[in-house]
Amino acid sequence: MSNILEAKGLNKKYGSFKALDNVSFELAPGRILGLIGPNGAGKTTLLKSVLGLTPFEGELNIFGLDPHKQRDELMKRVCFIADVAVLPRWIKVSQAIDFVEGVHPRFSRELCEKYLEQTKIKRNSRVKSLSKGMVVQLHLALIMAIDADLLILDEPTLGLDILFRKSFYEQLLNDYFDDNRTIIITTHQVEEIEHILSDLIFIQDGKIVLDDSMDAIADSYFEVMVEKEFEEAALAMKPMNVREVFGQKVCLFNGIAKEQLQELGKVRKPSVADLFVAKMKGEAA
Amino acid sequence: MQIHWDDTQPIYLQLRDRVLNMILDGSLQEGDALPSVRNISAEYQLNPITVSKAYQLLVESELAEKRRGLGMFVIEGAKEKLLKQEREQFLTVEWPALLQKIERLQISLDELFKRTKDEESDHE
Repeated sequence: MSNILEAKGLNKKYGSFKALDNVSFELAPGRILGLIGPNGAGKTTLLKSVLGLTPFEGELNIFGLDPHKQRDELMKRVCFIADVAVLPRWIKVSQAIDFVEGVHPRFSRELCEKYLEQTKIKRNSRVKSLSKGMVVQLHLALIMAIDADLLILDEPTLGLDILFRKSFYEQLLNDYFDDNRTIIITTHQVEEIEHILSDLIFIQDGKIVLDDSMDAIADSYFEVMVEKEFEEAALAMKPMNVREVFGQKVCLFNGIAKEQLQELGKVRKPSVADLFVAKMKGEAA
Repeated sequence: MQIHWDDTQPIYLQLRDRVLNMILDGSLQEGDALPSVRNISAEYQLNPITVSKAYQLLVESELAEKRRGLGMFVIEGAKEKLLKQEREQFLTVEWPALLQKIERLQISLDELFKRTKDEESDHE
């Protein structure tokens, strides 16, 4: 399957600060990519580049389109929810629907109404009178009613309570995502999206430090609760991270066969958060 | 619903095992439809590929089948087949290990049977 997105050698500087440092990656259709990085790592700059919102150096094409020169064409196929709800406070729900219907050729009013029926949002309410959770619901209903091929979510659930967060992803998977659509998500709440991802990218100081499918990660990264007697042997195998739990060493390994590690102790799959912490420490050292 | 996945084995295997257990305990009957991939994916917040993989395993072991346009169904005879596999597994792997332990603890089989009977009559 051909890629829907290809980035090659992206660079972006703010003065002497390198926001993107030689970033390259590809993305196939039907995938859900998690873009994870500490604050200021370059996530938002990267997303802005993809959306044609900021100039950059390097090659970038999405659906074969140049995000700068062919932005109008691209915007018919890409949707975006930013970390700050950007719906104007004075607008009425019905006006917001009218607006999106007016500007977006692939918007379905019918679908949007269907999604809103599952919420308590009234058509004549103004955005300023809605709770934060409802604003996100409204935003999601507007966006999901657009037949887009790529959906970009930048910290979509920031500030939402746990019920709204769960129903956000539930709705996304139930009513929106399919084999032809692709989703890019950035979030600090890694644990709540890790099972829905098919691909993972870690970014730090503008550089990509990990880029792999979740399947490949599950096959190559293992965490071992090392038995006391095998501690030395384990350390000699150069774990990428060592932490201590109840006096027992927990070592994270990359690229060593599971069978071999099982001789050292109990083997488990590291969570994305474990992996992230280890990678960030490793790169900083 | 939130499930706590065991991090020592892949989720698609755990998902498959859940379906197997549901067939064994009768909560899924032969001929029943399995929930759609989309449904499971949304409910448990899993990537649809993970769910498809679990279903694929069920198809490969001939316990479920895909019916065009209708989804996945538990095959007739699936329970018997599973029971057979589970019995085989118990008799060749689990029972010998258990027997070893029983011998190590020097419990006589007679005593075990007696206890089992007592328990049964307790339940009555």
